[in-house]
Amino acid sequence: MFYRLSGVHHNSYVSESRLYRIPADRNLALFFLALGLVAPLLVGSLYLNSYLLPWLVWTAAALGLNLVTGWAGQLHLGYAAVMAVGAYSAVHAAKFGIPWEFALLIGGISASVVGSLFAFAALRVKGLYLALTTLAMQFVMDWVLTHSPAISGGSHASLQAPTFALLGQPITSDIGLYYIAFSWCLLVTVFMLNLRRTGLGRALVAVREKDYAAAILGVNSFYYKIVAFATSSFIGGVSGAVLVATFFFLAAPEQFSVTVSIQVLAMVIVGGLGSTIGTFFGVALILLAPGVVNGIVAKGAIALGLQLNVETLAHIPTATYGALIIIILMVEPLGLGKLYGNIRDYLMVWPFDQLKR
Amino acid sequence: MRPIGRALSFALLAAGLLSASAKAADPKPFRVGVCYDLSKAYTFATPQVSQAALDLAALVNMKGGIGGTQVEVIVRDHGNEPQRGVECYSKLSRDGVFVFDTLSTPVSLAILPRALKDKRILMQSLVGRGDAVDGTVFSWIYPVGPTYWGQAANDIAYIKKLHGGNLSDVKVGFVYFDYPFGQEPIEILKTLSEKEGFELILYPVPLPGSDQASAWSKVRRDKPDHIISWMLGGAHVVASKEMKRNGIPVEKYISVNWLNEVDISNIGADAAKGIKRGTNVVGGQDIPLYKEIVAELYQKGQGSGPVEKTRDVFYNTGLAMYSIVFEAARQAVSLHGHPITAETYKAGLEAIMNFDANGLMAPITVTASDHGGGGRTRIEMWDGATWVPQTDWIAAYQDVVWKVVKQSSSKFDGK
Repeated sequence: MFYRLSGVHHNSYVSESRLYRIPADRNLALFFLALGLVAPLLVGSLYLNSYLLPWLVWTAAALGLNLVTGWAGQLHLGYAAVMAVGAYSAVHAAKFGIPWEFALLIGGISASVVGSLFAFAALRVKGLYLALTTLAMQFVMDWVLTHSPAISGGSHASLQAPTFALLGQPITSDIGLYYIAFSWCLLVTVFMLNLRRTGLGRALVAVREKDYAAAILGVNSFYYKIVAFATSSFIGGVSGAVLVATFFFLAAPEQFSVTVSIQVLAMVIVGGLGSTIGTFFGVALILLAPGVVNGIVAKGAIALGLQLNVETLAHIPTATYGALIIIILMVEPLGLGKLYGNIRDYLMVWPFDQLKR
Repeated sequence: MRPIGRALSFALLAAGLLSASAKAADPKPFRVGVCYDLSKAYTFATPQVSQAALDLAALVNMKGGIGGTQVEVIVRDHGNEPQRGVECYSKLSRDGVFVFDTLSTPVSLAILPRALKDKRILMQSLVGRGDAVDGTVFSWIYPVGPTYWGQAANDIAYIKKLHGGNLSDVKVGFVYFDYPFGQEPIEILKTLSEKEGFELILYPVPLPGSDQASAWSKVRRDKPDHIISWMLGGAHVVASKEMKRNGIPVEKYISVNWLNEVDISNIGADAAKGIKRGTNVVGGQDIPLYKEIVAELYQKGQGSGPVEKTRDVFYNTGLAMYSIVFEAARQAVSLHGHPITAETYKAGLEAIMNFDANGLMAPITVTASDHGGGGRTRIEMWDGATWVPQTDWIAAYQDVVWKVVKQSSSKFDGK
């Protein structure tokens, strides 16, 4: 009824390998694309720049982590470190006078190099050991940032980013910055959506499911793990640089600390491993829910006339937020993406559930 | 009796609400955006400081506000996350708030470029980048109070006084969190060590400061005459334990301003006898403003939190910070009248001269070029029951401090 389908049936390989197998999905994606494009006309600069923009940039970053954790199955606890490498090298490059287009690229490449160098050492171990090794990378990066004023920007450890510019045009307006974030997120999303249709994507999934089974199939698992680390580090590095250039306007070590690594991982897990749309949901929940719940609780307390202590007011949202994560993962361990998928699958042929899906 | 009591308290609550809404209906109260970390890293100080802010606002309103305008303090939690701090800032500044405080270095850093661009006042006493005292570069940022550089320099001036003006064979140990907060004073201490000839020995301590054993055994070996400490919260307690274990008298310990009665009681009020801290506010409860707040609010049951929490130097710190915020508003009104705007408020801040909030803190004079207000501090000692001043309010080595400030601020590219 909603999808006007009797099920998903393929009668050619082309139809099977299409990006969207269901027209309604494609239309929905196009609708959100259009919504993203006209968002500056629809919402005020507050929502545009303090909610939408960070949401898009963090989604791009989390998609990068999803590539290595969700697709290739390698637990990564040092993703913020990779973002830091990208951010700091891009800002330094831009300060040096290199145009931002190339600075972003330099950020991505240097993050990619550092990320895959680390992966060379880290990939000798698997599972929890790998997680711990990547955590070590995070601590190494934290240490480097807090101990090298030349990198972190003086004794306050805050490095001012030059004004963002494209093709020599400085971009300072809220709308301009939003479109930068939007385009980057769009680029990464399109890449991730298409990953399923490529040999690389299939190889990564094979490695995730069982790496020596993949090796028997002729997939060099070590090579693909490195590729996964390098690609995800590139995405992370550029996202870190975009975050600094469009949102923070300066880089500081706390923006890329170990808690941030854990947060990005939480975004991916709550969103759903290997799910692109889930990552959007996951980032929205982890990044925006605390502030939104905070606002609701503060307003609610005023409306109900509760004279709550400021500390209590601060802790209720944190508890709510924690409970929300637990509930979501209990209801659907595969994350918000799967939750959405369940609803979609249910509605696909509704009300004729007896038909084949 | 019980139901009657309950009904009464409901009636009181309703009355309070009504009066609150009546206050809100007043034309445009002067509002301060207090985006604090009330749930994560800074909770050792934020509850006391925000309680002080709310109490002080209540007292100001009780006395008729600022030239008839009521004041309002809006406290929000940002959990020490830059992203949420920016959200808090943007939300409140859209509602017309133009004076902010974050009491968190990462959040302050994240808001700073926006405040400069949007022309909003960012008060950042004791946090954020210290070179923001240079008003010629950071025109909308007001770190009123001492910088960590100035505070460290004043500590050295105190030590110099103890040694009769000659530091040539004195050893000063510096125990610090190995992290930008703790590393900040190193540069100034090194410069002063060259200038005054004392020996400076550095003892980095890894975060969060729960393991300091190796640092303090080194201290025992080196036997410094004084130990300046740049740590927070529980790390002071660990340090005092290690000092005791290594037989180092606690009198040698001079802490950064972040040492309070909670730490003292964790160390033990008697065991902490002789411990010192640099400060820009008067410790203890023998302060006119404090007594007024207790008499007017807490004894009438109108305090904004438990009264125990007010017996804390961080509460006094909060009172000092917000006395400045409201004094600037007063100056703004007396200079330019109502309504207070960001511009007139800025002029009001820069009109503050020799203001000490009736003996609450070091007198400050804010100017267009010096947003720190002079950077005076003093050393206070814990005598087992309260804080005893050891020096006058001093701002020593201003030439050296400002050289570092200028050097750092000149690298800031505000565009």
